[in-house]
Amino acid sequence: MFEQFTQDARQTVVLAQSAARRLGHHYIGTEHLLLGLLSQPHTLAARLLVVRGLDLAYAETTVLRLLGTPGLDARDADALGTIGIDLSAIKEKVEATFGRGALDRDPAHTRAGRFAGGGHIPFTKRAKKVLELSLREALRLKHKHIADGHLLLGLLREGEGLAAKVLAEAGIDFAQLRADLDRDIPAVPA
Amino acid sequence: MSDTAQLASDAGSRDPAVGLRAVRALRVLVERLEALQVENARDQNWSWQDIAACLDVTRQAVHKKYAGGRGLLRRGN
Repeated sequence: MFEQFTQDARQTVVLAQSAARRLGHHYIGTEHLLLGLLSQPHTLAARLLVVRGLDLAYAETTVLRLLGTPGLDARDADALGTIGIDLSAIKEKVEATFGRGALDRDPAHTRAGRFAGGGHIPFTKRAKKVLELSLREALRLKHKHIADGHLLLGLLREGEGLAAKVLAEAGIDFAQLRADLDRDIPAVPA
Repeated sequence: MSDTAQLASDAGSRDPAVGLRAVRALRVLVERLEALQVENARDQNWSWQDIAACLDVTRQAVHKKYAGGRGLLRRGN
């Protein structure tokens, strides 16, 4: 189905896979598609989300929180404090070297062999549904291509995955965003 | 540490729930730090042998834990 995808839409899928790897997840879910969209700030989808206050950093933090990545939360920090370990100081140093959220990833979620050869990470059912819905959204708009905007319409239409929860948490008005996308997605690939 | 903080800390450390939570948190922290550092070492072309020597474990142990798949730690990813 990817033959109708624009370059940006293809890149979204590639970056969704990168996001899954980075977070140590062995599947591509709707949340990774959202992160893929936000990883390309120049696209229409990303711009419409960023003006509503949802950027990549916020989305990734929210995804990790909603997944309940086992933790190093405030109570853990307090407990570590009782034995003289300052978790926030450690986080600060580690993130300075390895980047934001470096300590939030959960290595236990990955198992040897899952990513063998840097190869295929499967889509979840919901993520597949989003891809199908983005095609349907393109048909509805009588567009012959699938761009990043159609993928975002697909995420909104799917409405139940983790991406939709992140969008809802960010206070995004789905109907209004849909209307903006309907109006702004170019009828021919940019 | 101030006397007050020390008192709070001593009280906390006698509560098994707090003490055990600290141990668990420390374990999570160590696992994550190890994964980051092993990934970094592999990125800098360190051999499994060298990494194992630094961690004071066998090459097989570190290889089994980190090689052969974790996308995060594979070279070229």
